[in-house]
Amino acid sequence: MTDDPSMRVEPAVPADPPVLSGPRPRSPRRLLLGRLLRRPTALCAMAILALVVLAAAFAQTLAPYAPSRMDIAHRLAAPDARHLLGSDDFGRDVLSRLLFGARLSLAVGALVVMLATALGLAIGITAGFVRRLDAALMRFTDALMAFPDILLAIALVAGLGPSLFDVVLALGIVYTPRVARIVRGATLVLRELPFIEAARSMGASTPRIMATHLLPNLTSALIVQGTFIFGYAILTEAALSFLGTGVPPTTPTWGNMMAGAQAYMGRADWLIFVPGAAIVLTVLSLQILGDGLRDALDPKLQRLM
Amino acid sequence: MTRLTEISRRAFGTGLVGAATLAAAGRAWAQAPAGGVLQVATIGEPGTLDPTVATSDLVSIITQHVFETLFCFDDAWQVRPLLADGLPTVSPDARRYAVRLRSGVRFHDGTPMTSDDAVASLERWLKLSPRGKQAAPSIAGIAADGPLGLTITLSRPYAPLLALLAMNNGAAAILPKAVASAAAMGDPVGTGPYRFVEHKPDQYIRLARFDGYASPPGTPSGYAGERRAIVGEIRFVPVPNPTTRVDGMLSGQYQFADSLAPEMLPRFEGQAAVAPITVKPFGFPLMIFNERAGPMTDPTVRRAAQAALSCSDMLAAGFGDPAFFDAQGSLYPKGTPYHDEAGVTAYNLNDPAKAGDLLKQAGYKKQPIRIMTSQQYDFLYKMSLVAQQNLQDAGFEVDLQVLDWATLLSRRGDEKSWDAFFTYHTFVPEPSLITVLNPSYPGWWDTPAKHAALDAFNGETDPAKRVADWKTIQALFYAEAPSIKVGDFYNLAARSTRVTGYTTVPWPFFWNVGLAA
Amino acid sequence: MHSFLLRRAGGLLVVMVLVALIVFVIVRVVPGDPASVMLGSAATPDDVAALRTRLGLDQPLLVQFLLYCKQIASLDLGQSIFLNRPVSQAIAERAGLTSLLTLMSAAIAIAIGVPVGVISAVRRGRPTDHVATAGAMLFASLPSFWVGLTLIEALAVRHAWFPVAGWGDPGDGLGAHVYHLVLPAVALGLPNSALIIRFTRTSMLDVLGEDYVRTARAKGVRPWHVVTRHALRNALIPVLTVIGLMVATLIGGAIVTETVFGLPGVGNLIVSAVLRRDYPVIQGALLVISGLYVLINLAVDLLYTLVDPRVRP
Repeated sequence: MTDDPSMRVEPAVPADPPVLSGPRPRSPRRLLLGRLLRRPTALCAMAILALVVLAAAFAQTLAPYAPSRMDIAHRLAAPDARHLLGSDDFGRDVLSRLLFGARLSLAVGALVVMLATALGLAIGITAGFVRRLDAALMRFTDALMAFPDILLAIALVAGLGPSLFDVVLALGIVYTPRVARIVRGATLVLRELPFIEAARSMGASTPRIMATHLLPNLTSALIVQGTFIFGYAILTEAALSFLGTGVPPTTPTWGNMMAGAQAYMGRADWLIFVPGAAIVLTVLSLQILGDGLRDALDPKLQRLM
Repeated sequence: MTRLTEISRRAFGTGLVGAATLAAAGRAWAQAPAGGVLQVATIGEPGTLDPTVATSDLVSIITQHVFETLFCFDDAWQVRPLLADGLPTVSPDARRYAVRLRSGVRFHDGTPMTSDDAVASLERWLKLSPRGKQAAPSIAGIAADGPLGLTITLSRPYAPLLALLAMNNGAAAILPKAVASAAAMGDPVGTGPYRFVEHKPDQYIRLARFDGYASPPGTPSGYAGERRAIVGEIRFVPVPNPTTRVDGMLSGQYQFADSLAPEMLPRFEGQAAVAPITVKPFGFPLMIFNERAGPMTDPTVRRAAQAALSCSDMLAAGFGDPAFFDAQGSLYPKGTPYHDEAGVTAYNLNDPAKAGDLLKQAGYKKQPIRIMTSQQYDFLYKMSLVAQQNLQDAGFEVDLQVLDWATLLSRRGDEKSWDAFFTYHTFVPEPSLITVLNPSYPGWWDTPAKHAALDAFNGETDPAKRVADWKTIQALFYAEAPSIKVGDFYNLAARSTRVTGYTTVPWPFFWNVGLAA
Repeated sequence: MHSFLLRRAGGLLVVMVLVALIVFVIVRVVPGDPASVMLGSAATPDDVAALRTRLGLDQPLLVQFLLYCKQIASLDLGQSIFLNRPVSQAIAERAGLTSLLTLMSAAIAIAIGVPVGVISAVRRGRPTDHVATAGAMLFASLPSFWVGLTLIEALAVRHAWFPVAGWGDPGDGLGAHVYHLVLPAVALGLPNSALIIRFTRTSMLDVLGEDYVRTARAKGVRPWHVVTRHALRNALIPVLTVIGLMVATLIGGAIVTETVFGLPGVGNLIVSAVLRRDYPVIQGALLVISGLYVLINLAVDLLYTLVDPRVRP
């Protein structure tokens, strides 16, 4: 079994806990990178992601216009020398919005991953170590997972408000249970291992044990999970924007660009195609990367490859 | 689970055999009534079907087929009788209106309409309708005078009365007395050419031809004159997505669709089966300022905003095609009696320098102006974006809040949470029907000068003098800048070319309309 | 087995109570209220206040919550504010569409996913495998609303092969409903087929590595015979659980699809209820869907225990 993130609830056979080989894995990062670099698709995906990150980082320099500068006289202009990717219904430059959109969409993805990871770690470790709270915390994550992603996000955004921050918060909450479950599983396995017993009997405190043993072992699993959550956050943001229940439409995220372009399909097709292609490429690259990482990390899958 | 398995077995056994067979099956709607079924794509679900309580356009469009008022408007926006048997006799002091009802009119439940029903309905209207409540302070009493007569007594002359009674939203609809005096309305029962059959929320509302209908006499003109139910069934289908409404027209799924984005007009080019309809006049978008709290309470700041805005850019962004708007500032469009260019003193200036000067003069300290807008009305949202840029260029600090319409409506009641918001008003023939002039309307424009001018206007019954009074109000509208009239816009609707005899009006109706095979 | 069931049922009850609490909290912090939406833009604050009183929205939150709990306990989902009928009826009226859409989408996802997954596993490492894996990832990266919009533009507007929106006339038979749902089911099923492809492939590879399969191969049984007779059945056990779970994900995905295709299903009901602030409907629909979700999971767990005795606790 894999720990595919699109699987909302674990089946009775739990997903493989992360590899817990010993007190400290041997330089896993170099090993990982080496494995990844041997796969051409993973390489390609990393190149695309690097490009997106660069576009986001240098949006200010690269963008020919300010992203929200309107030019009503030149609205819906087809791609030409003046607007390389055309202009939208306000005469705003699509290329500039795409570049700044990369910044926002990446920010949404990254912040959601960070939030979900932080909350998931807190819940998972507490549940794993403090047995009294375990049942309550896990039932709570079960309850959160009982709502389909989009549905919970819509309800949360409606409650919190439609700012970029609130959408990040809502999506962060939506993806927290996935992380929490993995962390708890790993913690439960770990606390029974002899070397932890040993560390504990030698007087190491719980936080210390976590810092030195648990977190290093969890890192790779969290990175894999984070890669998937990143992609799903971008897709869900787009869906929320389409439903009109997401980030304020004034914010040039890729999702908002697509949502605003719907009315011009068949007339100004580039308006929906450009941000759509950006989303698909980015999410695809993230999936390929996550897949590659997982295979590189999971010896069971490794055997099969 | 049995049911699901059953469905799946049948679905996969028969369903996926071939799209063509299924298409044939799908269109075989066996019990099609004589005259055919007219499928009308509306902008959404009306919620209530009570024409008296609601003032939304959608409710009017649907319920005007079922309910009727005493009076209605003809194509020149003159008040004409509908359930009444002619215009009322007004006493010389303009305080007594005697109305006679047409005889032989029956409700859909078969009972004849009498003056008792009318009195109960009008009392309900005074109590529940926003328009009725507007009239209530001027009304001393309503009494039956024989089975078909009624008398409305006023406490002071009130010129808008007949127009209010003729409106089809917040309507003074005549219901059976038992319904009018009950707490909740139940299934709609009226006197109209169509009767209510079934309402499946978010799916459809079905109306069927009412065979016992008694039509008013006369050549059809606007809403007035003879009404004949030709189509057997009208089905209002809520289709909230405007693109889907256009797509559904193109594919022939609907025979009429309302409120289409003018930008989609090019999609109808070369489509022989669809005829686009431009509804003119239709309405005017407004940017309303808060005069109770916050920086916009200062008239100089408001005039700065007035000077900063480019109304023509706002209209272009909102509607795209110039054939669908007119950048003009008179509250009433060209060709109507209340149109007046002279009072329009500060429209579409787009003068950031002047606005900046006014701001300096007002001592504006970059307090953020919170502008509320909603994407549910796409053109309002687009206008507010342009306004934001105009205001920023002039030195305003703008906080644009894109809310859903529900939130906007409830938030605008709280004066502390906003400084401006966008809305639109449908064209109304009588100025006192314009809701934003009401001092209790959020924005709360209620200066002594305006109060006096409005009172004078409402108390005046001579049409010529009313026009002069209206000019005073409009001059104040520009001098005090309580809100911005962005311009006039027209509505794009579309009908199938199979639909015959359609009359273009702001609230589309489908009596006198046929459906060719 | 009994204690396992009891434990699961107990946990389920706790989860449902928590779900109810979460639903109530979320719904009450939503700004805006149904009264102002119902009355339209000309209503005065006084009108709105009067309607709020009539709807019980001016009661203290605790009172509202207790009433809500009492309702749920008596299996009553309350009365819709906007639709003028019980919430359970509103949901029931739309459940048929959403069930049919979910089933059709699941069928499409399986019809694409299982064969592609199997082929991909058998041809592991070859071009076919690469194309299939890449395809799966591509499908999973597509925003489903874009797929839907493109299908409408191409197959319903340019060629009127399918209807643009809706699900037929009143009185239509199942055939017409299925026909109306073909495009929506493709738009929803396609992205979800990715999951099935990946699980089938992984699971198949697992089984193909088992001793008995190797033995069969060594004995010279034809490769496809090995796959269809020996491996597939066992490989499909874990895939089964994924299909169960996917049905739940599809219900969530139906929200977007129903909006794109203007389908009056449960998903659409929820989106419009949020816009209308129809609290009882939001509450009821969230409760029903999450309850269904929890039940499907329980069923999948039980099924798993039945077909694979190794995991019996």
